[in-house]
Amino acid sequence: MRFRIGLYPAAVLAAVILVVAGCMRESEETSIPPLSAVGGRAGLGPGTHALSSGPGYKSSPSWSPRGDRIAFTVDGYVADKPVNAGDIRRWTTGDFVAQDAEWISESSLAIFGLASGSAASSSVYRAHSREGSPDVEEIATGILAMCPGPEGKGLIVVLENGSYEGRVALLNDSGMVDRFYTRSIEGRVTGVSLSPDGRRLALATRPPGDLKPSELHVLDLREGNHWRIARLEKGLEIVGAPQWTKQGIFYVAGKEEVSGGERATPLYDLFLIPSGSGEPIPAPGVGEDFVASSIRVSPDGERLAVIGRLNPNSPTNLYVLDLETRDLEDVTSNEDMEIKTGPDDLAWSPDGESVAIIARGELSEQPSVRAAPKGALLEDFYNLYEIPVDGAKEVPR
Amino acid sequence: MREAVLWASGAVLAFLVTAGAFLLLANLGTGPSVKSLPPESQPANSGPALELNLDEEELASLQPLPDQRLRVGVKNSGNEDLTEVHLTLEVSSENTALSDASYYRDTVDTLAAGTSTVVPFNLDLSAHEGTSSMAPAAPEPPRTIVEVRATTPTGVSAVRTAILPL
Repeated sequence: MRFRIGLYPAAVLAAVILVVAGCMRESEETSIPPLSAVGGRAGLGPGTHALSSGPGYKSSPSWSPRGDRIAFTVDGYVADKPVNAGDIRRWTTGDFVAQDAEWISESSLAIFGLASGSAASSSVYRAHSREGSPDVEEIATGILAMCPGPEGKGLIVVLENGSYEGRVALLNDSGMVDRFYTRSIEGRVTGVSLSPDGRRLALATRPPGDLKPSELHVLDLREGNHWRIARLEKGLEIVGAPQWTKQGIFYVAGKEEVSGGERATPLYDLFLIPSGSGEPIPAPGVGEDFVASSIRVSPDGERLAVIGRLNPNSPTNLYVLDLETRDLEDVTSNEDMEIKTGPDDLAWSPDGESVAIIARGELSEQPSVRAAPKGALLEDFYNLYEIPVDGAKEVPR
Repeated sequence: MREAVLWASGAVLAFLVTAGAFLLLANLGTGPSVKSLPPESQPANSGPALELNLDEEELASLQPLPDQRLRVGVKNSGNEDLTEVHLTLEVSSENTALSDASYYRDTVDTLAAGTSTVVPFNLDLSAHEGTSSMAPAAPEPPRTIVEVRATTPTGVSAVRTAILPL
C-alpha cells in the first residue's frame, strides 16, 4: 500500500515541476549582429544598410538593372561595387570629372562628365566592363543633360545647339545614335525625365535672359513635337530634373532668399503639373510647410521619393509619397546625420523596394580617433545607405 | 488488472518527474544573457593583444606644416611578450582622387607583456601638390587622415585612424 500512498504527492510534485519549469521566463537573448563597417547602425533608422564605406565625396548613386550592384561618383571619378559585399571597382581615371553615372546595361555605364581643362562643355562617356577591366570611350560631346532611355535601355541626351538651344538624341547601348530630333528646344536644358510610358520627355530649361531654369517643356518622342507647359514666376528656379509620374510631372522650385547681404537657407517647394493640365499646383499630400530638396520617381511611376523636411525647423529625412493615396511616409528617422540634398543624391532600386541615399555624421572641428582602418569608417564621411521602403510609417497629420 | 493500472500510472509518473527535472535543469543552466559584441573589444590578458593610442590634444595641435611631431602609444595588453612590432603610419587626404599618400615606418623590437612604449613620428603635413584641392562640388576642403597600423610576425595587430580637420 506504500505504493498507493505515494502516488498522489508524487503526481502533484511532477505537475508543479512541469508547470514551474515550463513557465520559467526565457533568458533574454539578443542576436549578435554581423560585424560590419564601423558605425554600421547609422542614425537613419532601423533597416538601414550601408552600401559604401571609407573616405571620399560620393554622389549620384545608380543601381544596376538587376539591382545587385550600385555605381556612384567619388571625388570626380566613377566607381561601383556589389550591394552586399565586395570591393569597390573604379571605372574612370582623372581624364574628366564625372558628375553623374547611369547604367545602360548590366555591364555598361553612361557617364556625364566634364573633361579636364574643358571650359564648360560636358560630354557623355560609355564605360564598358570587359572581363572586369573597365573600358571608357567618349561617345558624345556638348551635352547638356542625360537620362536613361525607355525601359532602362539606351540613353537620352540633350545636345547643346548654340547658347540657348538643345537637341534631343536617343542613343543605344553601344552609344550609337538611334534617333535624332532636329527641332531645337528653346532654352538651356538643365534636367530631363522620361514619362512612365516612355513616350514623352519632360525638360527643365533656362530661357534666354534668365539666370536660373524656370521653364518646363515636353517633347513627344514619337512625333518629335515639343511645347512649353509651364513658366515659373520671376525669381523662382527649378531645382534638378522634373520627375514624370503616373499622376503628372513633379518638380522642386523656389527662390534663394538673400537677407542682410547673407544667403539664407533656400526653402524649396514641391509642385505638380497634373496629367492633362498645364497649371502647376502645390504637390498634394506633403503639407504646406514641407521643404523639398530632391525627388525621384519610383520605377513603376506610382511613388515619389522625396528628400526634405516636414517644416523648416525639422530634420532632413527621406519620405515616400504614394501618388494615388497621397500618403506621405517617412522612411528614415534621422537622429544626427546630414543627408545630402543634391538633385542626383537618391536612387530607387529596380524592384522599388528600397532607395539609396547619401549621408554622413555631424562634422567635427576637432580631431577624431577611430579603432578601425579608414576604409571601414562610415559616419565620418559621406557614404551610401540603402533605405528599405517597405514598413514605412505614415507621417501623422 | 488493478496492479497493471498502478504500474502504468507509476511509469507515467516517473516519466513526468524525470522530464520535469530535465526541463528545470535546462532552464537553470542557461548562461548570462547574450549581448551583441562590440567589434572593437579586445580580450584583456587572454593571449597576445596590442593597443594603439593617439593623444587627441596632440592631434589637435598639428598644423599643415613639415616636421609635425606625433607620438604613438603602443601597449602590449596581453600576457605574452611581443617582438618586432612593426608600425606603419599613413598620411592621406580625404579626397580619394589624390594618390599622394605618405608612409612612415618604425619597429619596436620587444614589448613585454603589460608594458607600453611611445614611438615618435615626424610627419610632413604640409599640403602636397593637390592635397588641399577639393573634390568637385564638395562643401569643404578635404581633411587629412592619419592611419596607424601595428603588426607582429605572429599576426597580432591593431589599427587607429585619426581624422584631422587640416
